[in-house]
Amino acid sequence: MITLKEALKLSAEELVALKEELAKKIEAHAKLNAYVGLESAGEGVPIAIKDNIQVKTWSVTNGSKILQGYIAPYNATVIEKMQAAGLTPFGRTNMDEFAMGSTTESSYYGKTVNPHNASCVPGGSSGGSAAAVAAGLAVAALGSDTGGSIRQPAAFCGIVGMKPTYGRVSRYGLGAYASSLDQIGPMTQNVEDAAILYDIISGYDANDSTSVHRNDKVSDKLDPSRKLTIAIVPNYIKDASEDVKRAFAKAVAVLRNAGHTIVERELMDAKYDISAYYVTATAEASTNLARYDGIRYGSRVEGSNLKETYIKSRSEGFGDEVKRRILLGNFVLSSGYYDAYYVKAQKVRHRIKEEYETIFKEVDLILSPVAPRTAYEFGSLADPLEMYLSDIYTISVNLAGLPAIALPIETSEAGMPVGLQLIAAPFDEQTLFDGALSLEQSLQS
Amino acid sequence: MTINNDLLIRLEKLSYLEVQDDKRSEIIEQLNEIVSFVENLSELNTDNVSDTFAMTTASTPLRDDTPACNSHIPEDIIKHAPKSADSFFIVPKIIE
Repeated sequence: MITLKEALKLSAEELVALKEELAKKIEAHAKLNAYVGLESAGEGVPIAIKDNIQVKTWSVTNGSKILQGYIAPYNATVIEKMQAAGLTPFGRTNMDEFAMGSTTESSYYGKTVNPHNASCVPGGSSGGSAAAVAAGLAVAALGSDTGGSIRQPAAFCGIVGMKPTYGRVSRYGLGAYASSLDQIGPMTQNVEDAAILYDIISGYDANDSTSVHRNDKVSDKLDPSRKLTIAIVPNYIKDASEDVKRAFAKAVAVLRNAGHTIVERELMDAKYDISAYYVTATAEASTNLARYDGIRYGSRVEGSNLKETYIKSRSEGFGDEVKRRILLGNFVLSSGYYDAYYVKAQKVRHRIKEEYETIFKEVDLILSPVAPRTAYEFGSLADPLEMYLSDIYTISVNLAGLPAIALPIETSEAGMPVGLQLIAAPFDEQTLFDGALSLEQSLQS
Repeated sequence: MTINNDLLIRLEKLSYLEVQDDKRSEIIEQLNEIVSFVENLSELNTDNVSDTFAMTTASTPLRDDTPACNSHIPEDIIKHAPKSADSFFIVPKIIE
């Protein structure tokens, strides 16, 4: 597939031909189920859009039954910015319902298949976007990352996925899951394309009260020759699979060879990250998803009175994982449990953020696994707690609001992609992309 | 076991959700498993740590109090709502 950088040079006629070619390819690979709709929204370079980002007049459903029938009445800010830069939304990609999952199996539209192995998940929740880019069915895609939902599917499918610093990219028009953690980000074929798409979608937006007044760009200043200090966290790697350990050792060697300095640092046991994350995310989700009541948008199941209509619409409209997280969120926020769970998790969040701040006083980047292993087989993460534990390497980044990028390192003996991530200090996307480009180029040489 | 059937009934009420009879014991078990896991947070000392968290220390931005509205948004929402007429959502009868 043509890269985003190349596609931005195409003429209007060539772009029409590219979209026709894409539509044919998507149809020929219908079994992947990467797309749940093939809408188009005008001229420009086609970009696949996760089913939780508003595109005006599109049916944007968050992979859920409860939003069937909903039509987006406005464009998300990222869509407006894309269109102003000559890009156009093209196709809606599959996702875990309301972005709550690590496999894309919980979608109302059924599972998406990993392009590298039909018995494996593409990861999640942005599994459709990752599979589309990996299978050559998209030039690039947008995903959203609340606890790893861009980086983990990118790693499982062998593409590049980037989560910006919290506040860099407007959340206006993103289906809210956990508002203090959500960020939209690029999913692309290579690091440079990710930088280009990141530049296009980032920047201040008055419609998002958590948007920051920063508009600095990175793609015109990419410098892979910078010599950086990169931290590794040995107590993090010990629990990863052999495939991931091998890829990690390879990346460390390649980075050293490229002239970077590798240092060792410690982080607290990541089990606390998982707890702080699932308390925070479910609490915020229970509030955000209160708006789906069957009255104002989506689908309704009529009851004999208003209350019964709410309950029936929600009980029949939400899937099991979403219900579990709403119940859990209401538990941690409810009287008698609020202090022990929700407040405690916010305190722990301070500690997690401070730990990273201490490390980033001395280093430029951290190299880390994205997931404990390569893509799981379908059904193997059916136990909810098992699935939550698989997010061990990605969620502290969201809790601390940091930027991170996942990129492919090598292919395992079983033929599956192994990705790793680089993490940077808040708002240091330039160093993040410079380091990632250096790693990508060093792996190719 | 923190979560039992009584607590689940309370959570269903707070969530406006109904868990089917054949799924109740499974979800009680799963919620307990998750809740006992996240209790590891109590192992960490968080004395003197603020009990609220925000990504920035800046306060919520203020804007001028001038009316601004894309009137087509409410119109489009009403148009595609499950049941609506004129500029109203239609709901089951509230007052008998």
